[in-house]
Amino acid sequence: MQPQELNATTTAAAHTTMLPLVLIPATLFALLLYVLFTVALPWTFSSPWIPSLGIDFRVQVDGLAAQFLLLITGIGTLVFVYGAGYLKGDPKRMRVFVLLLLFMAAMIGAVISDHLIVLFVFWELTSVLSFLLVGTHHEEESNRKSAQQALLVTGLGGLFLLAGFILLSEIGGTYSIQQLIARTATLPDDARLPAALALIFVGAFTKSAQFPFHFWLPNAMAAPTPVSAYLHSATLVKLGIYLLARLDAAFSDLPFWEVTLVSVGTLTAVGAAIQTVRERDLKRILAWSTVATLGTLTMLVGLPGNGAALAVATLFFAHALYKAPLFFVAGNLDHGAGTRIIDQLTGMRRYMPWTAAAALLAAFSMAGLPLSFGFVAKDALTIAKAEADVFMLVSYATVFVSGVSVAVAAIAAIHIFWGRDTIPREVHPHEAPLNMLLPPLVLVALALVFGLAPTLVDPLLGAAAHAIAPGFDTAAVDAAYDAGPVITATLSALVLGIGIYLGWDRLHALLDRVRVFDNVGPESWYWRKLKFLPRLAAWQTRRLQHGLLPRYLLVLVGSVTLAMLALLWIAQPVWIWPAWHTLTWPVAAACVLIASAAIATLFMRDHLVLLLVSGLVGYGSAILFLFTGAPDLAFTQFAVETVYVVVAAAVLVMLRRGGPLPNAAQPEARLRPFALAVALAFGAMLTALVLYTAGLPFDAALSDFFGAQSLSAAHGRNVVNVIIVDFRGIDTLGEISVLLFALLAALPLLRLAHAARGRVT
Amino acid sequence: MNSRALLAEVLVRRLYIVVLVASAWVLLRGHNAPGGGFIGGLLAVAATAAYALTFDATRALQRLPLGPLRLAALGVLVSLISGLPALLQNLPFLTHLWFTLPLGFTELPLSTVMLFDLGVYLCVWGALGGYCLALVRAIEPEP
Repeated sequence: MQPQELNATTTAAAHTTMLPLVLIPATLFALLLYVLFTVALPWTFSSPWIPSLGIDFRVQVDGLAAQFLLLITGIGTLVFVYGAGYLKGDPKRMRVFVLLLLFMAAMIGAVISDHLIVLFVFWELTSVLSFLLVGTHHEEESNRKSAQQALLVTGLGGLFLLAGFILLSEIGGTYSIQQLIARTATLPDDARLPAALALIFVGAFTKSAQFPFHFWLPNAMAAPTPVSAYLHSATLVKLGIYLLARLDAAFSDLPFWEVTLVSVGTLTAVGAAIQTVRERDLKRILAWSTVATLGTLTMLVGLPGNGAALAVATLFFAHALYKAPLFFVAGNLDHGAGTRIIDQLTGMRRYMPWTAAAALLAAFSMAGLPLSFGFVAKDALTIAKAEADVFMLVSYATVFVSGVSVAVAAIAAIHIFWGRDTIPREVHPHEAPLNMLLPPLVLVALALVFGLAPTLVDPLLGAAAHAIAPGFDTAAVDAAYDAGPVITATLSALVLGIGIYLGWDRLHALLDRVRVFDNVGPESWYWRKLKFLPRLAAWQTRRLQHGLLPRYLLVLVGSVTLAMLALLWIAQPVWIWPAWHTLTWPVAAACVLIASAAIATLFMRDHLVLLLVSGLVGYGSAILFLFTGAPDLAFTQFAVETVYVVVAAAVLVMLRRGGPLPNAAQPEARLRPFALAVALAFGAMLTALVLYTAGLPFDAALSDFFGAQSLSAAHGRNVVNVIIVDFRGIDTLGEISVLLFALLAALPLLRLAHAARGRVT
Repeated sequence: MNSRALLAEVLVRRLYIVVLVASAWVLLRGHNAPGGGFIGGLLAVAATAAYALTFDATRALQRLPLGPLRLAALGVLVSLISGLPALLQNLPFLTHLWFTLPLGFTELPLSTVMLFDLGVYLCVWGALGGYCLALVRAIEPEP
């Protein structure tokens, strides 16, 4: 009876739909559209966040940010609709949806913040959320590795980014991006600028999967398809490009900026285009072609001129409108036909007509055929190249990448869906449900409308281009328009693409044999380094963490002594000999007590006696404090010393019942000369330090302040206590929290010891 | 301990209360004379440790007003709360406020400082006392 009931509840839970959650991105999208039509850009807002560090929550929404916000919320809405169908019955769908919502919030935060540090915080949040989403099905090791790789690569890049941001703000004198852009024209030449930009490049390149950090993106396809469509195509991976585009207004004139971005972008695009042909899994094919597009975008950001700015904005938009539907199509194939391997997918049109239609229209745009929105993007790209007067090599590269795009489009639309289904199947594939068809169809319909009437999105793209290049002027771009190169580019890409499509299998077989990609690429370097880390950790643990307390002490005290002696030597101190006549009898007695107890410990062999004698050192210090004007300290020292000695002695006594204990810890015989030398050096160093410190002028500002303010401002005559509870109250709060957490950490360990003992007896 | 020390038991049972009262006195006088939450808390820990060593950890645990972890957490909470009234008056967090409570024949000065120090006292007692008890429990002979 019981298993059935259990089953019934899980099925009921499996049928709870996530569809209502769609309302969140949908409402945001609608709100955004409404405000876009009613309030002129840019919108700004500022509120102090951490004023002591000069960090304000500054928000600035201009054309570029608005375009991103539309994509984040718009595609987000469709991804939620799609995910409700795709993840139906998946026990982890609640987790995926919550993470997706958090991710959306982080993305929104990243694109609207005008403060570099705030941007960084959101940027890192997206990395962490991407890690969690890629690792959704972490039961499989490959998924765990992919998630870890995504986090390590982008997280490491994030650290570089933070360093770059800090350096940049040091140079520019501000953390605000807008102020930075306004100031760059008047900024003096600073030798640190290339370093700052290089650090930022590393951050942006890791995020946007640029060479040599590109390899994590195809591996991130381990994520569920809605996640891939959203994060790894439309939003997250564009964040790096977004940052570069955002800073383009400030640095586009620097040769370093242009050369780096154009070369890295082109290299990434070509490399990824080649890798595309090596894949048989549709989702990984799409991932590599996304990397290629990201490379093209990086290259475009690097190109100077108005046309490039417009091309960046247009390609952003067009790519989101055709790549997201293609990911949805891959998901539908997975769902309906049970595979994404292109060899096992032919003639799917018969079973999945609507998915086929979406694939065809998306491919139409991806190939950049006339009357599609992709063609508009290709137009802009060609204008940008013509205006910027690029090297022929870059020009050839973009044609090659476009050709591969055409071939990928043909694979996705024709190879999979048209022709005959020649593969023997036991179960016929079936069409996806409505909520998995609607999202791709909506997107391709939009692309179709915008392709036929590009003027509809002109204001949006213009505003975005204006944000990338402040001098942007639509008229200038229109005037530069020349149909000739566009037609040439389209035709050559088409011919090349059809060639690659027809020879796909042969090319694949050829490239598959070229193992050089697997063995020398950055990814193999990554794996080697990853294997090296545990080895390094094991080695240093063996060498340093040997568990022998006398050796630990020797190393610790020895290095402290050396460091302090070096510092003292550098400081060239002036000795002040103590004024013996000020010494009072109680203080002298305390000193004698401390010294003789310390010497006595050397000759004790019994643990208990050793403990008691060392306790005398503590009592001696307490007496010293008492007669040098620190009664509170003395009081505390007495209490601590007493409790410690009593409890430790009791523990020793109880332990002895279990059998005789080994002798008190002594260094091994061959270490003893070293131990003696280290001990003498440590004592000499401390003596020198005290003599030196006494010779320094005493700054009484703090003690005077506390002494004067204690009674008048804090109503207390005990200055020490007033400092603890009032002047430094926050510190004390932190200290008692540490106490609490120390107990939290100690309790399980002691319970473990208790349990272990129970087992032995 | 399985061998009972009768004298110690009689002594510690009475001393426990005396030391706790003394610790409270040390806590209260702290603002104007040597003392305060840290020292008072340590005295209370000494009382708890003595009790645990004379009887056993379980019985010492029962004499605590709350479980050690809760005691320590309550302490942090009390200290945290003592800083909040300042926020209501638009002063920075943990700015201590003073007021006097008229009792007819005399006036009793009160302040959020007292609350803060009480929090320190409770946290020290709970955390260090709890540590001592767990340690004694881990090594003491089975009853």
